[in-house]
Amino acid sequence: MGKQMVMSVMSKDRPGIVADITGVIYQLKGDLADLNQSVLCDYFSMILIASFDDAVTPEDVVAGFSHLPSATKLEVVVKEMEAPLEPAQEGRSQEVYVLTVQGQNKSGLVHRIGLFCCQHGINILDLATTLSRGLYTMILQLDLSHVESVDAIRTDLARCAEESDLHMVLQHEDLFKATTEITLL
Amino acid sequence: MLRSDHILATVEMIQKENLDVRAVTMGINLLDCRGGGVAETCRRVEEKIGTAAARFVETCEQVSRKYGIPVVNKRISVTPIAFVGAGFDRHGFVELALSLDRAATAAHVDILGGFSAQVEKGMTATDREYIASIPEALARTEKICASINIASSHKGINMDALALIGQTVKDLAEITRDQDGFGAAKFVVFCNQPGDNPFMAGAIHGLEEADLVLNVGVSGPGVVARALERLIQTRGRENLRLDDIAEEIKQTTFRVTRCGELIGRKVSEELGIEFGVVDLSLSPTPTVGDSVGEILEILGVDVVGAPGSTAILAMLNDAVKKGGIFASKAVGGLSGAFIPVMEDAVLAAAAGSGALCLEKLEAMTCVCSVGLDMIPIPGSVDAATIAAIIADEMAIGMVNNKTTAVRLIPVPGKEAGEIVDFGGLFGASPIMPVRNVGKSSRFIAWGGRMPAPIHSFKN
Repeated sequence: MGKQMVMSVMSKDRPGIVADITGVIYQLKGDLADLNQSVLCDYFSMILIASFDDAVTPEDVVAGFSHLPSATKLEVVVKEMEAPLEPAQEGRSQEVYVLTVQGQNKSGLVHRIGLFCCQHGINILDLATTLSRGLYTMILQLDLSHVESVDAIRTDLARCAEESDLHMVLQHEDLFKATTEITLL
Repeated sequence: MLRSDHILATVEMIQKENLDVRAVTMGINLLDCRGGGVAETCRRVEEKIGTAAARFVETCEQVSRKYGIPVVNKRISVTPIAFVGAGFDRHGFVELALSLDRAATAAHVDILGGFSAQVEKGMTATDREYIASIPEALARTEKICASINIASSHKGINMDALALIGQTVKDLAEITRDQDGFGAAKFVVFCNQPGDNPFMAGAIHGLEEADLVLNVGVSGPGVVARALERLIQTRGRENLRLDDIAEEIKQTTFRVTRCGELIGRKVSEELGIEFGVVDLSLSPTPTVGDSVGEILEILGVDVVGAPGSTAILAMLNDAVKKGGIFASKAVGGLSGAFIPVMEDAVLAAAAGSGALCLEKLEAMTCVCSVGLDMIPIPGSVDAATIAAIIADEMAIGMVNNKTTAVRLIPVPGKEAGEIVDFGGLFGASPIMPVRNVGKSSRFIAWGGRMPAPIHSFKN
């Protein structure tokens, strides 16, 4: 089925970026597998996976982007996958928890939480932060499938929250789905 | 995709607004436990409950920890015991109660309900023996709750049973005099009693149920109260109309119910038993901020009992049902707003100040779930008056095709205005005055049956 490539694109935000990026892939007869995009402070970022014929190289893809008549510069990194990837959802862990962290803004907050997760063998699946009137809010989706005891994590988290003067709550993602989605599987 | 604001709203609901699952109740059929005599039956009852509920409490706690939602009470309901003990005398029923108490203790549950009978049309000799056993049975047990269905929209009101029950309530209070009549707080009288209600004291495992079933009672007056306060603060009182308020209650109840549904499904899955219903009741606790009365005051009466209280409660009750019914696969039990005076700090305060009287409570029960609940009255009120208060409440349920119930506590040796405090979830309240005491005995003395209303004949 050819080869899969992972691409990362960043640009100042403007209308038409998605059309431009997918246009390059289409021109090279690529097949888009999965993508994720977000905009932060007027900067657009996208990560995407697509498969191409064996003849297409990462350099061809980068060249395709560089020939775009774009008003903003697209910064692109393309890598060929060593092994074909499954779309992320298929292997999704059953033990996804949502951690919310709130506190007064100060430097090192995200690092502190990142370090906590690292030390406890927790993979961060998703992380979003907002700053509003000095209150910093982090919302993380965490994979706790490799954690032996969620109770122990909660205890350590409570200690971490106290030490760093943060309000932290760890809840299973099912709970949020149950309270906000119409379907309850 | 989960939205940040939804995530934060749910976190608020659990962390700051007293959201919990009030009760997970395992219903257990005991009809197959009947042995040749009392001792044999008791042995089988304990054995069946022991097996069925062996992992129940542990599983509830495990699921509760996983989802971070407290499950406040773990309870068992059983087949109305008068069926199980058919032919037993009062001593046999006391033995059965003791046996249920041992089983409940062994299973580590908080309470066991179902020391009950259904006598809405007539009483058997067994039913009379069962009724006679209630005071001793409840006085000698820790965890047992009793209930009796004496009326229904189909059959009318059993006035013979009613008269006996008036006296039973008095006897129950008297036999537990040293605890301010606490025994009466464990006994509730019903019209149209549901067989799948997870809340005590009236939980039973109805005859129509499967062998084992799990029912869940959600709570959430605190969550609703805070949601309304937030709505009023962010939108401004002048920009809101009552239908906006009803909509907010619906949406909040949806989320509260979903938490109960999630916990119920997971506990059922773990235990491998059928998930029955979610009971949508707004069930208050004596904790400040977890009150149905407070919601009424937020919605516009300065004190519960003021004119408008009944109308607000009607809207609240309806919005709770509408929000919850879509959130759950099966809704049942009582499902509405409870107004138990002792268990709700704001209602208790209104009763103490005289703003809320028994008659207004009775009117409010026409539009909400259950009825005259956890109301302490002077110990001097006679049995016939108590029976007559119950009769009025039964008539409301019978005519309106709804469940109504009465749980009065005639506190021995105490008069109106004195405080009675049972502690914990049972709460505290000033004793409410009863007007026109001793003026209903000729009515109660008739006995017989009050015929079912004309609209019960639908065949």
